[in-house]
Amino acid sequence: MRNSWAVLSLTFIANLISQAAGVSPPGKPRLTSCRSPEKETFTCWWEPGDDGGLPTTYALYYRLEHSETVNECPDYRTAGENSCFFNKNDTSLWVNYNITVVATNALGKNISDPVEVDVVYIVQPKSPENVTAVVVHEDQGPFVKVLWEKPRTADTRSGWITLLYQLRVKQEKDKEWVEYDAGRQKYYNVFSLHPGKYMVQVRCKPDHGFWSEWTKTTYIKMPDYLPKERSLWIM
Amino acid sequence: MCAFVSINGVGLNDLLERASQLSDKLHSLSTSLTNDLDSHFPPVGRVMMPRPSMCHTSSLQIPNDKDQALKVPEDELLSLARSLLLAWSDPLALLSSEASSLAHPERNTIDSKTKELQDNINSLGAGLEHVVHKMGSSSDNLSSLPFYSNSLGQDKTSRLVNFHFLLSCFRRDSHKIDSFLKVLRCRAAKKRPEMC
Repeated sequence: MRNSWAVLSLTFIANLISQAAGVSPPGKPRLTSCRSPEKETFTCWWEPGDDGGLPTTYALYYRLEHSETVNECPDYRTAGENSCFFNKNDTSLWVNYNITVVATNALGKNISDPVEVDVVYIVQPKSPENVTAVVVHEDQGPFVKVLWEKPRTADTRSGWITLLYQLRVKQEKDKEWVEYDAGRQKYYNVFSLHPGKYMVQVRCKPDHGFWSEWTKTTYIKMPDYLPKERSLWIM
Repeated sequence: MCAFVSINGVGLNDLLERASQLSDKLHSLSTSLTNDLDSHFPPVGRVMMPRPSMCHTSSLQIPNDKDQALKVPEDELLSLARSLLLAWSDPLALLSSEASSLAHPERNTIDSKTKELQDNINSLGAGLEHVVHKMGSSSDNLSSLPFYSNSLGQDKTSRLVNFHFLLSCFRRDSHKIDSFLKVLRCRAAKKRPEMC
């Protein structure tokens, strides 16, 4: 009895001291998102929450749906701060990962709400690469041909991931972009543009998943075009 | 809808192109159905939901990453897709017969989408028969994945929960089917690599 009284008093005193010093156990961390750029690896990021004024460490734990084993994050470095990277060997599809983040400091722990992810539902590719735009001159008049390449990391060649592309075009003074769906093709011909300087951006999405970011703007100048007077030839 | 009509004379490329359009549609439909169900789902239902390892197809050994999947020979990949499709014939018929009486405000939408799912798996199944024929696969080693239930349950909550559970199993399986068929599509399209 006397012992537990002593423990209680000590805890009470410790709390008083820590409050006076402005320190506390860590706040609750929050898993913000998990994304896979190519259906082969994935990364999860978290928001740390309050550190309680003390050095605080974070650990990510995961469990696969058909297993009882809890594993710790295999790689905290590759994807930067507050993240966990799962390489090819640690990534399986069509299985739920149950993920939590634990914050720990000298005064205690706090655990995030768990998140369940199946990698196939979190695919968001990198942006397309090497976007170029050229003016093609043809009898009916010039048009703009936009070409690009797939994001390097995505293996579309084997069919493992399928990407669909979209481009958008506008003049600098315009408010609204005009969007065009290119499907699986890695080029698109934009017809009937007025003369002027145009901005072009491209993005891609997997067959089932999220859009990538738009690429940086590529500029193309549409020349003044005077239709040929064919009637002159007839004369 | 993309149906498999007048197959004779259609190349393997085009057959697989049509098949993957259908499998793509199947997965998108099942995702859209899941969202419809989620719009009104009792919180107790999430607790009652069986774990995904309880899906009747979970015993089928499938490649679950790229390296494994790309090592599987074409006829085996096709057999996996067909086995999964076959395994869903009975459960989708059950869902289809139960959808109209579901205790859910979106039941009419759910009902029509479920019927569409059923039509699509039948078309895809028929289409894959032609692919098998075209590929000249010798062995026909389909795995049997029996589905033993003929009812979704007695009370309205368990019927809703079981409907949702079956659908979540199907959603995952339709993604597998779609992934395998798209790998096959690209293997067949070697002469037109611009499409992959």
